[in-house]
Amino acid sequence: MAQRNNKYDRQLRIWGEHGQTALETARVCVLNCGPTGSEALKNLVLGGIGSFTIVDASKVSAADLGNNYLVDWESLGQSKAKSVCALLQELNESVGAKFVEESPEALLESNPAFFAQFTLVIATQMTEAPLLKLEEICRQQKVMLVIARSYGLAGLVRISVTEHDIIESKPDNKVEDLRLHKPWPELQSYVDEFDIDTQDHNIHKHIPFAILLIKIAEDWKKSHDGKLPANVRLFKEAITARRRVEEDEDNYNEALKSAYIVLFPPSISSQLRAVLEDKASDVDASSSDFWIMVSALKQFMANEGQGEPPLDGAIPDMHSFTDYYIKLQKIYQARAEADVTAVEGHVARILKQIGRESSPIPRSTIKLFCKNARNLRVLRCKMLSDEFSSRSGPELQRLLAVEESSHPALYVLLRAVDHFAATYNRFPGVFDGEMEEDVSRLKSLAVGLLNDMGGGGASLPEDVVSEICRFGAGEIHCVASIVGGIASQECIKLLTRQFTPIQGTFIYNAMSATSLVLNV
Amino acid sequence: MSRSEELNQQMDINGIEKEKVLMVGAGGIGCELLKTLVLTGFQHIHLIDMDTIEVSNLNRQFLFRKSHVGQSKAKVAREAVLKFRPGVEIVAHHANVKNQEFDIDFFKQFSVVLNGLDNLEARRHVNRMCLAAGVPLVESGTTGYLGQVTVHIKGQTECYECQPKPAPKSYPVCTITSTPSKLIHCIVWAKELALAKLFGDKGQVSDLDVRPTSNEDGAVSNDPDEAQFFEVRSGENSKAYAERVFDRIFGQNIVTALQNEDTWKARRRPDPLFLEKVLTEDDVVTTNGVCSSEGTISASASLGLKNPQETWSVKDNARVFLESVQLFLDKRSKDVGKLVFDKDDQLAVEFVTAAANLRAHSFGIPMQSLFEAKGMAGNIIHAIATTNAIIAGLIVLEALKILSNKTKECRMTYCVEHPSGKMLLMPVEMAEPNPRCYVCSETPLVLELNTATATMREVLEKVVKRKLGVTDPVIMQGSNLLHESGEDIEEDMVAYYTALLDKKFVDYPTPITTGVVLTVEDYHQDFRCSLHVKHRETFDEEKEPEGMVITGDLASLNNTDASAQPSTAAPSKIQNGHAEEEEDDDVVMVEPVPKAATAGTKRKLEEEDTQPTEKRLRVTESVPIEV
Ligand SMILES: [Zn+2]
Repeated sequence: MAQRNNKYDRQLRIWGEHGQTALETARVCVLNCGPTGSEALKNLVLGGIGSFTIVDASKVSAADLGNNYLVDWESLGQSKAKSVCALLQELNESVGAKFVEESPEALLESNPAFFAQFTLVIATQMTEAPLLKLEEICRQQKVMLVIARSYGLAGLVRISVTEHDIIESKPDNKVEDLRLHKPWPELQSYVDEFDIDTQDHNIHKHIPFAILLIKIAEDWKKSHDGKLPANVRLFKEAITARRRVEEDEDNYNEALKSAYIVLFPPSISSQLRAVLEDKASDVDASSSDFWIMVSALKQFMANEGQGEPPLDGAIPDMHSFTDYYIKLQKIYQARAEADVTAVEGHVARILKQIGRESSPIPRSTIKLFCKNARNLRVLRCKMLSDEFSSRSGPELQRLLAVEESSHPALYVLLRAVDHFAATYNRFPGVFDGEMEEDVSRLKSLAVGLLNDMGGGGASLPEDVVSEICRFGAGEIHCVASIVGGIASQECIKLLTRQFTPIQGTFIYNAMSATSLVLNV
Repeated sequence: MSRSEELNQQMDINGIEKEKVLMVGAGGIGCELLKTLVLTGFQHIHLIDMDTIEVSNLNRQFLFRKSHVGQSKAKVAREAVLKFRPGVEIVAHHANVKNQEFDIDFFKQFSVVLNGLDNLEARRHVNRMCLAAGVPLVESGTTGYLGQVTVHIKGQTECYECQPKPAPKSYPVCTITSTPSKLIHCIVWAKELALAKLFGDKGQVSDLDVRPTSNEDGAVSNDPDEAQFFEVRSGENSKAYAERVFDRIFGQNIVTALQNEDTWKARRRPDPLFLEKVLTEDDVVTTNGVCSSEGTISASASLGLKNPQETWSVKDNARVFLESVQLFLDKRSKDVGKLVFDKDDQLAVEFVTAAANLRAHSFGIPMQSLFEAKGMAGNIIHAIATTNAIIAGLIVLEALKILSNKTKECRMTYCVEHPSGKMLLMPVEMAEPNPRCYVCSETPLVLELNTATATMREVLEKVVKRKLGVTDPVIMQGSNLLHESGEDIEEDMVAYYTALLDKKFVDYPTPITTGVVLTVEDYHQDFRCSLHVKHRETFDEEKEPEGMVITGDLASLNNTDASAQPSTAAPSKIQNGHAEEEEDDDVVMVEPVPKAATAGTKRKLEEEDTQPTEKRLRVTESVPIEV
């Protein structure tokens, strides 16, 4: 325990014990262990996933030694999967390590059921046809799929999951929910204990700003027919009128800074609204815990919450005496606990309705859900087969015309090279002598592809086409390190169910150091 | 043709295998970087790192194994890579990059310098060395999912110090010594005062005791009896010592502080904690006799407290305090007298957690778990493998652009946590050098002080070292040397400088007063700037506690001209929690993405209103510019 805590100390501070536990129970499969696959897996092994399985049929060649750190001289000519597996195992002995010396394409054909044992599959350096097959299997077996590809100086990362529910989306700009516009009785009665016009200057400058704002808003309402100030400026004037300038009062500075939250309390975000309105929140016996809690949340908001989700109970730092602050903190925490209890009640009723009393949802889970209720997210990924169908053409056409960057063109070309490979049995640009022909072959394949998707007439920048040919299909280590790094980062987000993963196709251009997430 | 050769050809780099590069730092980014450099075809690499390997490095510094704990990072990293790629020349320096051996000539031998550093001080130093040697610098940093890579080329782009860097947090001394209101105040007290007083260098002045005479300014007590109190008495065993210290710092000192009625007029009065009340007869400390866990001496192991995420009871905190004091005296006596807090020192973290919690309990502040307290005490930076791998790849790509003379294509790249808009990697064009930067352009600064009372010693400490980041200063007035530091100085000059050190400026042979220009130089850093002296009688005790102010371009550079601040922050306003700008063995100080690039994304570093306003206790040694 102590050792685990020390080793993972720095990351536990990002995703917590429960996030670490989620990683430690994850079974990850990596298809192809070139530099992209090896780098992605290396990061996950260091992070402490439960186990991994590498699927790769190739042998270690001299070229591998030049771009993959996880193969060594001694394994030259031997199984690459075996070598990478052994070296990864050294990095973290608590991770289970396995390998299968077989090509992913062959395995897809011979044993589709193989993939059911995994939590997540990372498919690296795979072409379109087998990817479509793999996606179908993964969707059926409810296995998360992350696709990663390094192609010369270009890279691609794409997630494919049917549905991914996120309780802890951890947005950058967390809204503070203080309910200063409608204090509940316990908070109100604490506010009433204060005389904010006290002649004791020391007390005057140590009253927490939350109390000041509630009081001053209350006074305003008394003299304005129960209405709040029409704008923040008026409210700030009312606040300034109560402060004692010569005392240099920081609590008043804080009150001025936060004045707007009384007039503009946090609203229900469009993302939360989408979750609440999602059809999946009409639950039945087959519903997941997440949707049962969403359903309970709706009932809470319609009843106890009076339109608001549960209070998270956190309050910001305030300039104040410690005892005032701690009392205030306790009042907020008590309210948050009461809200959890209310939601818990709804959950119990729902479970009873759908005949699931026997498997309740633990309070700790409900608590986490309530604390993050404002930031719930549901991610559903388009199937690759839909993305590649005719419906996407017009959108691609638009992007190619609008986007100044090379990314939409790279997106098309990364698909076109697979068609090239299917046609010529090799990737473009492999032979120096055929470079010019390859450029025009690739270009006409790409244009044909766009036409098939209903995006005819769009033009592809000449220089991007020839760049793709010039670089060939090679995995360059520093590009693989970046693409593998991003892919593993997305895997961690998926496995821990924290943070919001990429929604769309991430395209990286190493030459211009730019990236873009495309939604087609 | 190998992939790396292909890449190099595409980037028009001839003979990458001949290029010589310097890597500073073999931590989280360093391990990734070394591997990526070698696999990109670099064959001559120098590596400098003064650190040794810790267990907490192993979740991302993949060149290291458990068996390497305690060994030099630079050397182990070199051996690990050579084992795999024996043909490469890697020179490992287990040393501080600020050492004299790494002089300008040393830096000049490299085509490019790549930083994977963990602290501001070293970064500023390497920046100056690169400017002096005319070598391009690629600088980097990560925190959790965030990261950045920037390129600095003399004369073409901003230098590392062209933009102000966030200052470490500091707390008013009286908040720490007398009126803590948050756990972080108690942690700073435990770490900087209690730990230092008991086990640190006794020569250092510490403000631990709250004397009846000490007022809210937190006057320093230099009472000799006081210093003696914390010595182990002859014939006293470690248990008796621990108990005596407990009653003094948690009991008697609080009783004494309570006599100062003014302080408690409107505050909650703290409760003194005496051992006989906290631990009754039945609660006698019983240890299981195993005071170490996996070779680490640990009080919580000894007491059987297993879960670091659990908040200990007051009794347990008292037990941990007593046990950790005893273990320091009995098992780590060689560290006593010179201990400095280190976040990877288990016993020190336990002592600090227990001491901070006990003090917090006295003051009615909620206590925290060891895990949380450790994060606060160590200003621990979140660090994961994924971001380091991405950043290392980006560093190499920028280095390749520099080596292929495509410096116009260099970018500052920010790796952002959430796709802001639709981008995860955000490239920003390099900015021009800041003409008002005192490091890369010779902009004069104005030094305001009271020349009737100011001394060279004060100016050296408060301004030259702390604010200008100079390591070995030489001070001149015209062509007259007033101060030099270093080893090979003539004895008579040493005597002369020592005599000047505490002389008032007006009493100098040529009095230093308004109009005098002092030149500050650091030969090692090849750093030079001039200070225009301006006499001023009075300074605002709260806003300008140091009694001297650097203004002019330095101030506008930092955009925090104290006198121009409309209002000032008070003690409790300083945010606690993890400090983004602190140091770890990884790299830190992710900088805010320039405003133009973020388009309204709210960043973390917006603490413009936490200017020091009172006498402050510095939490760390490395204090950057904080005008
Ligand atoms: Zn500069």
